[in-house]
Order: sequence, then C-alpha cells, then structure tokens
Amino acid sequence: MSVNERTRLPIPNSRFPTSGEFVFATAQYESGDWDSAPLVPANLIDSLARYTSLPVAPTGAIVALASDDLFRFPLVFLTGHLPVRFTDAERANVRRFADRGGMLFVDDHNHDIDGAFHKTAVEELTRAVGPLSQLPNTHPIYSAFFKFPDGPPNTSHELNGWGDNLVHAHLLAAMRGDRIAVLYSNKDYSSEWGYHPDNKRFLAIDNTKFGVNIIVYALTR
Amino acid sequence: MLSRAERARRAGEGALRVIAMAAIATLLWRAIRSPVATGVDVARGDLRRALVRWTLAPATEMRVVLDAAPDPGTRDWLRALARAGGSVRWSSSRPIGAAAVVAEPAVEPNAVTRVRLASASGEAVSLADDAGAIDTLARGGARELELGTVVGAVRASGATFTATSYARDSVVLRPVLVLGAAGWESKFTIAALEERGWRVASRVQVAPNIAVTQGALGAIDTARYAAVIALDSTAVSLSNEIARYARAGGGVILGGSASRSGAFAGIAPGRVAARVAGVAGAVTSAAPRTGLGAFPVSSPGAGAVVLESRDGVPMIAAQRLDAGRVMQVGYDETWRWRMAGGDESAAAHRAWWSRLVAAVAYAPLVPREPGLTSIDETPLASLVDALGPSTPMEARPAARTDNARITWMLFILSAASLLAEWTSRRLRGAR
Repeated sequence: MSVNERTRLPIPNSRFPTSGEFVFATAQYESGDWDSAPLVPANLIDSLARYTSLPVAPTGAIVALASDDLFRFPLVFLTGHLPVRFTDAERANVRRFADRGGMLFVDDHNHDIDGAFHKTAVEELTRAVGPLSQLPNTHPIYSAFFKFPDGPPNTSHELNGWGDNLVHAHLLAAMRGDRIAVLYSNKDYSSEWGYHPDNKRFLAIDNTKFGVNIIVYALTR
Repeated sequence: MLSRAERARRAGEGALRVIAMAAIATLLWRAIRSPVATGVDVARGDLRRALVRWTLAPATEMRVVLDAAPDPGTRDWLRALARAGGSVRWSSSRPIGAAAVVAEPAVEPNAVTRVRLASASGEAVSLADDAGAIDTLARGGARELELGTVVGAVRASGATFTATSYARDSVVLRPVLVLGAAGWESKFTIAALEERGWRVASRVQVAPNIAVTQGALGAIDTARYAAVIALDSTAVSLSNEIARYARAGGGVILGGSASRSGAFAGIAPGRVAARVAGVAGAVTSAAPRTGLGAFPVSSPGAGAVVLESRDGVPMIAAQRLDAGRVMQVGYDETWRWRMAGGDESAAAHRAWWSRLVAAVAYAPLVPREPGLTSIDETPLASLVDALGPSTPMEARPAARTDNARITWMLFILSAASLLAEWTSRRLRGAR
C-alpha cells in the first residue's frame, strides 16, 4: 500500500475522541514514512493508563496532516526516517494547528542530524510555524509528571553511539506565547519506545516515562 | 433772629436730610431682610439672570421654558430654589430627548472602558471624549462600545441634551482559579483566559493524588481569587469551600461535568439534564456553540437567569448567591470550537470565556481621583428627578415687581437729597 493510498483511509469514527477522553494521534503525511514507529502509540497509551487516571482511548488514531480531522486531536505525534516535504495543505494546517493551541511532537527516527529527515523536517517546520530553538532543560515539560532534572532522558541509541554519535542535551521547540507548539526531538524516541508494552516488565526503569510527561504537559498547559 | 425765608430753608434742609436717611435705611433694610415672594415669574433662554433674581427675591411661582436639558449647575440651582420653598415648574419649547451614557471599567484584564449609550429621541447623537469624536448614531438607539483609551469625559450630544460620564473607578482583578482534570477542556480554558490577559492559577488533576498546579494556590476566598471555574468532578472535594466563597461575594462557574455532581446542587442555578450532542459541523457555522456537546440546564431555580439557550433548552444560567454569583455552563468541550471552528474561532473562544468570567468575577472598585468633570449621565431623567415632570403652561409676561429698579430709585433719591441739602447749606455759608 502506497503512502497516497494510506492517506485516503478514513478514520473510524470510534477513534474520534469522546468528551474528556484522550486519543493518541499519529500524523500521516504525504511524503516519507509516517508509520515508521507503529508500536509507539500503544506503548505510550499503556504508560498513560499505568501511571495516571486520565481517561484514554485504548487505541490510537491516525490523522492526515492535511485533513480537518487534525483539529480533533490537539496533540499529534509525527515521526519518520525519510525526507519530509509538506504539501501546501499540510503546511497551512500545521500552521493553523499551532496557532490554535495544538502541539505537534516530532521525533527524528534516524537520530542523525545529517540525516534527511532532520534536515527536511526542520526546514518544513520552520516554514510552517517559525524557527525551532533549544528548549531549556528547566522547562515545565520536564516536571509535568515525572521529574527529569537533567532535561530530556537519553536513549540507548544515543548512548550506543548510533546515528550521529551525539548525545543531544536539549530538545528543540517552536513556541506560541509560553506554550510549546512544536516539540522536536533528535533523540530517536521512536526507536526507544517502539516495543510491545508487555515488554516493559523486562526493563529496570520504564523508558517511556518521558512520553507520559509530554502527554501530560500537552493536556495541562 | 432768623428771617422767615431762612427758617423755611433750614426746615427744607432738615426734610431733605430725613428723606436721605430714610432712603438709606430702606436700602439697608432691603439688603438684610429675607427675600419675599413676589408673584409669578417666567424665564426662558439663558436662565442665569433669572436665577440670580429669584435667589435675591423668589417669585411665588418660578417657571422656566427650556429648549434643551439644562446643565447640572443650572438644574441644581433650580432644585435648590424649589427646596427653599419656592414653586419651580418647567416646560420645554420642543421635546427634550431622553438619553443616557455611562462609562465604566470593564471587568476584564485588558483595561478597556465600556461605554453604553442609549437615546430614545430618534435624533442624531454624537459620542466624543476630550480627545475628539468617537462615534455617531444617526437615529439614536443603543450602542455598547469597548474603548482602549478614553481621554477625560465621555459626552453624548444631541440637539436637546448633552449627557456626560467618565469612568470613575478602576477594578481590582485577582487571579482566576481553574479546577479540572487533565484534558483538552482544562488546557484550552486556561489558555483562553491567559491569552486574554487573566492571571490564572490552576489545579489540574492527573492521577488520584497527583495534580499539575500553576500559580499560587491557597484558601479559596475573595482576597485571593476573582473567580473559580470548576470544570468537572475533580473540584468536588472543594465544594464546601467554593460554596462559602460564592456566598461571600466570589464568582463561580460550574462546567457541565461539574454540575452533574450533587456536591454543587446547593449553589447551582439549576439541575443537569442528560448530555446532548452538538450538531455535526456546526462549529464552523455562525452559531458555533450549537456544534458543542453539553449538559443542558434543567429546572432553573426561581432566581436563575437563563443566559443562553439552544432550541429553547437552557445551556447557560446564572444566579446570585448571597453576595456572589454562580453560573452554570452546560458546555463541556468548548475546546473543539477553538480548534475546529472558523478562522476567528480561537479569538472568539478567548473572548467568550473572558466574558463568562467577567460576568461573575469578584472585582472590587477602586475610585479614581474625583472631580475630573461634572457627571450628567441622564440629563432628562435628572431634570425630572429634580423638578418633577414637565408642566405645560402658557407663557405669560412677567408680573413682577422690579426690585432692582426700586433699589436704584432709592439710591438716587438718597444721593439727590443729600446733595441738595449739602448745596443749600454751602450756599448760605454754613459748613
């Protein structure tokens, strides 16, 4: 199935958020491989249900970035390996989404600052919502639920020297007022969180806790 | 031995002296005696001279024929004459327009002045402040304006009136406390108020014993918060405090989900009906809130006022609760309006929430420096209040005694008598 065919897939109505229910949404865009991390939504949904009492939909939703349905999901996750080129409709929607208070969480699945995704995604996001800048490690997102006093937690991919062989000390963000409109990560959380939720029991420390912080921040700020 | 002519001359001099002394005594007596009513007097046009005259010597009945509502000074002078025992009646040579203007600080953080103008006369009304013209209503009517800056007094002027007002007070706005569960409604309610300029403190529940807080949280009282918004059942644990706060003068907004809890039944303006879904796609329409799901207000209490309805079903109601106000808002997903609405939806969502809070907020007034200008917000109504309703009458010429002329005549008489007496004495060689 090509990306274009997938784009036309309707979102089942059951996935639209009912009142008060959080639905984890993944952005589907025309270019690149938007579905490169299919296990991340289920894993974060599991963590959210595990640590909080928030009503959460048991399955995530996939929403086309160019669709009006985007505005039903004020937090949207976007990832991929391949170059990102937004269509005009996608770019306009992302801009409108950010201006209205939505939050787009973008993760570079390559973990490579010289990689095609990073270069093109940053370029496209800058065109859509303005330049990305370093998010201070004291930002409330690092204490929204769990405490991360040193900023964004490192991933095993960073520590193993994969990708760009860098440990990124900061996330990037585009702001609207004092709120994050776009949160951008080079840390490859898509790989770090891309496993079946049942396998958390094999981890000494649950590495998805920062994902909970991102969601809680989006829901409270 | 004086000649006969000399004796007659001296007698004449004595008589002149007596006349002069009598005239002077009369002048003195007129100056210090209480004014005496002297018949019916009618004044029209410029009333100043008539007012001075009536103050010195009130007429039995003082009538004024106006062609416009008098200024506050003139009106107060007439009222004083009436209160002093005189009969003051008024009529007008043409209908005087009923108009009112009021300028007051809006209970919102953007420090605007809200000007409300109403004119029932149908004549053109121009609205201006000390800096210049603001607006014109060609045929009168009513208008409400929010002005960022107002210089001095606000005046609404028509052909027969000038109404004047100015914002005499400023408001003290304390933070708004938002209580809710982590979710889009809490997030976007807080965002809307902050973006509109309100200071917001919040407690957003994430897990049973974990809440994300913002701002200084403390006891819920009017010294700390202008309003409390309870969005859902997470506020139930504070229901007693919130009820006490409302009764003490605070403003409370109960969201649709919060109203479902029996904990707020004692203060809610009504009960809660079963949830109704929004009309699909209506958030982009001209009536965007019809696209929102809601818990309608059922059975509004006797003191409740329904502020918004959908197909006759109350969606928002409010009531006074002792010194405070409580508003029940049925909508529980206004965030959809902001996110999925038309181009202006985010701004409209902000303004709507801000208006709701402003409608209930505890906002003590702080008087500004007094004496900027005289206020006359309702010229015709104030005239009726001062002198009673207009009494049509036939204009009659003044049937008055001219006190000023008598005074002059007495003065001339005394001066002439003294001069004649002095001249006579000098001519006969006396000192």
